[in-house]
Amino acid sequence: MTVASVRRRRRDRSARSVLRIAGILLVTLAFLAPLVWMLAASLKSNLEIIDPGRTFDFTPTFKNYDTVFGDQAFGPFIVNSLIVGTGSTLVALLVGVPAAYGIARYRIKNATVFVLLARIIPGVSLLIPWYFLFSQIQLVGTYLVLVLTHFFVTMPLVVAIMTSFFEGVPEELEEAAQIDGTSRIGAFARVVLPLSVPGIATATILSFIFSWNNFLFALVLSDQGTRTLPVAISNFTSYAAVDWGGLMAASVIITVPVMIIALVAQRYVVSGLTAGATKG
Amino acid sequence: MFTTHRVKRLALVLPTVAALVAGVGACSGGDDDPNSLTLIAANSPWAEGIKVLAEDYKAETGITVKVDTYSNEQLNDTYKVKLNAQSADFDLMAYQPQDVMREFSRNGWLADLSERVESDAAWNWQDFQQPARDAVTLDGAVYGVPVMTERHIMYYRADLLKDAGIEVPETLDELKAAAAKLDDPDNGVYGIAMRGARVPLVTQFSSFLYSFGGDFQDASGKATVNTPEAIAAYRFYGDLLKDSGPPGAANMGWVEASAIFAQGNAAFYLDADSQAYTFLDEANSAVTDTVAYAKFPEGPAGSLAYNIVPQAVGVNELSDKQDQAWDFLSWASNEANSKRLLNEQTAPVARQSAWDDPAATANYPEGLVDIIRNAGDGYISHDRPMLEQVARAREFVGGPAVAAIEGGDVASAAEQANTDFQALLDSER
Amino acid sequence: MTAQTARRRSPIDWVDANLKWLLTTPAVVAVFALIAFPIGYTVYLSLTDSARAVTRPYEFVGLDNYLYWLGDTQRFWPAVGRTAYFTGLALTLELALGLAIALLLRKTFRGQGLVRVFILLPLVATPVAVGMMWLLMFEPSIGFANVVMDWLGLPAQGWLSDKDTALNTLVFIDVWQWTPMVVLILLAGLSTLPEEPDEAARVDGANAWQRFRHITLPLLMPVIVAAAILRAIDAFKTFDIIYATKGRGGGSNNEAETLNILAYGEAFEYSQYGRASALLMLFFLLIVIVLAVLAVLRKKGNRA
Repeated sequence: MTVASVRRRRRDRSARSVLRIAGILLVTLAFLAPLVWMLAASLKSNLEIIDPGRTFDFTPTFKNYDTVFGDQAFGPFIVNSLIVGTGSTLVALLVGVPAAYGIARYRIKNATVFVLLARIIPGVSLLIPWYFLFSQIQLVGTYLVLVLTHFFVTMPLVVAIMTSFFEGVPEELEEAAQIDGTSRIGAFARVVLPLSVPGIATATILSFIFSWNNFLFALVLSDQGTRTLPVAISNFTSYAAVDWGGLMAASVIITVPVMIIALVAQRYVVSGLTAGATKG
Repeated sequence: MFTTHRVKRLALVLPTVAALVAGVGACSGGDDDPNSLTLIAANSPWAEGIKVLAEDYKAETGITVKVDTYSNEQLNDTYKVKLNAQSADFDLMAYQPQDVMREFSRNGWLADLSERVESDAAWNWQDFQQPARDAVTLDGAVYGVPVMTERHIMYYRADLLKDAGIEVPETLDELKAAAAKLDDPDNGVYGIAMRGARVPLVTQFSSFLYSFGGDFQDASGKATVNTPEAIAAYRFYGDLLKDSGPPGAANMGWVEASAIFAQGNAAFYLDADSQAYTFLDEANSAVTDTVAYAKFPEGPAGSLAYNIVPQAVGVNELSDKQDQAWDFLSWASNEANSKRLLNEQTAPVARQSAWDDPAATANYPEGLVDIIRNAGDGYISHDRPMLEQVARAREFVGGPAVAAIEGGDVASAAEQANTDFQALLDSER
Repeated sequence: MTAQTARRRSPIDWVDANLKWLLTTPAVVAVFALIAFPIGYTVYLSLTDSARAVTRPYEFVGLDNYLYWLGDTQRFWPAVGRTAYFTGLALTLELALGLAIALLLRKTFRGQGLVRVFILLPLVATPVAVGMMWLLMFEPSIGFANVVMDWLGLPAQGWLSDKDTALNTLVFIDVWQWTPMVVLILLAGLSTLPEEPDEAARVDGANAWQRFRHITLPLLMPVIVAAAILRAIDAFKTFDIIYATKGRGGGSNNEAETLNILAYGEAFEYSQYGRASALLMLFFLLIVIVLAVLAVLRKKGNRA
């Protein structure tokens, strides 16, 4: 290796990293820009929002946030969405992760297909039969029914993601643990699970997001006391007016809790780097 | 180490189970509770007012009235799901008479209130405006109490007309000329804004249709959207938007069209009077000082605009608390409370006595009150086809107007629409 | 076997022996319990002419509803075409972009946590609100999109209100909203890939593209396929953004009417429950067929 080629390699590498940084900035901007617009809109009056000339020229006001927490009393809705989101995600993980492992290790393709069926079914065909079922057992308007119906949507997601992860974990590792005297299920818990933390973190974030955004089931199965955020958002569409500012402010508020959860969980999404070292 | 994993898992499981149990326990019932009623309604000034009234009702009678509100679109979806599943979860239901009353009553979902409304002399059913009473009556039976009324009016920019020396149009031809004159797209001002999306436009188009001497159906219920009068009306509506309207009109519902006017970008806007508030609210409108109101202009057959009931409240036939439900409903719609709703919430109620009372109308936009007080004459009480499958019919009869806006063949579109519409009517016989 | 293992007989060993069933049964049973009644009910209704209310009298019409749809060249087949076009285009773009972005974000860098969360935001913002926001932005006269077009010196477009560009605009919105999900899944997948094969290839002199194509890509395949299947299923059923921006019927000329929107309108606007159920069954079958075809192709790909 000559000095010249070392210098060339260093130049290439820094050119590449400049490109990389530019790329990352561009991508982040592309995804963020509309949401920044939304944030700005939440600080404007309705009139300013519908005027494209005033995109950058406006006086910020917190009136919309006042409406959201005051008139519309969004606090309880946030709590409801949190309860349902956490509940359904936990149950989905509890049921879905082991199922995914079983499918991956025992190669039960049919189970994946069956579980995916739950996601293929269009929500429309579920509404009336479910409403009928759940009202018969008096569950309409409870948290349980929302957790159940959201679980129905998120569990297949967990299974689909985790199956592909488990398939990527070489079986030799578990076999090695078993030779040392651990049970199969012990091997699963002690060896496989830690290696799959990125997958689990991903499944958790996505599952929570899907539950958070679910609109159709909550529309019909919740009552004023258990109403979740997506349904509550419709409160800003009144008979003869749309409160754009309020709508945007509510949307901003809605993203905050999920952002926090995602911030915490995403650290685990790429944690496999250290776990990879133990794969020896 | 296995045990620590198990402990970690338990730490996850226990709260979940606890949450689930709490969830089951926190069954927010209220069904069987005799001291509570549930009302489902659409977001509207009336619904806002009812929430306030409900508190007073509770103080007076000890009965809690829970009010669940939804946006208009979701309201009907919610009803269809719940009532198809035979739900008794709610007792009072606000609905759009023209869209769903026929269907819901034939489904057996709306209680027949005829006796109740007639028998209470003090409450005075006759005080409700005639078109409003007609709107909630079907085959002689009354299925709800009208709680809001709405008329087609012409909003215009007094300043723009004055600057151009144009008189307020009193006929449709004058409107067309005025809109053309004031149409100035290069400076961002369009002559006129109106709904142009196929289904939403039908209700606004109706007034044009009537004023040209046409109607969706004739007296015997046959489809009549291919008559020369109808075709003339379609052409007129479409040309107005095509020549003096904003781009993309065929995609606009009231939300987009009213936004254009509110922003000051249109000289005329013809739509329901219930939207006046948006234009008077400083946070929502740039035309608070310049907006003015006028009666719907005359067409060849006169000025025949719609005066409809956008919201009526009925009693859920499947509820077991119909008596209590009626008690609350009649209380909330009595003369005193109607005046209160008109005054405090500017809810456009249906009682003539409320509109005749200057104290009650004090907060209502001036120009509008006159139009409304005289709303009994020359107004048509429907603004869309009258049959069960209104939604589908609207798709058919709105088509020719879209064709006109886009510069297509209106006559053949109208023929096709009539055929389809008639087929739909036949299927309901 | 030593005395130690002989002592640990009952619970754990029983669990191990029946592990296959213990692991998968809860999921399968849960799905079955929740899905059985609705599917049965939908199939039942699809064979009747139930309309207006399911409690009104109806008759059995056998496969009439199905034949109606299969012969409907006005709404059904165009909707199938639109659904296929939308799903195909959106899926391709999302996978390609998602992979590219995931590779971009793979190596550690300062602020990566924040970037990853920012990228998630389109996914997190409520679809209904996102739809209305885009509706405003793409509005031809008062929207921001045409302002940008003006800056770039391009002609103003009709976007969502123009029947020729509406569907493509919707694809754009969908790609904006869902690519982050693909990125997230692929990032996690990339992070669990072993490093040795890659290192070995680099030592052998392979360049970045070769390493990607022959090492990273094959190892990442299971995860890519998982993301593809999940997105495909959801893209077929896309509802929220279309409904929020085009409303019922997918617009004045049905220009954005996909199968799900059509089914929803048939059920909740026209109250034609029998016909809507048949349509839903057809829709369901369509998705299953497409997935089956993909699965067969994948198997062939694996064998090759």
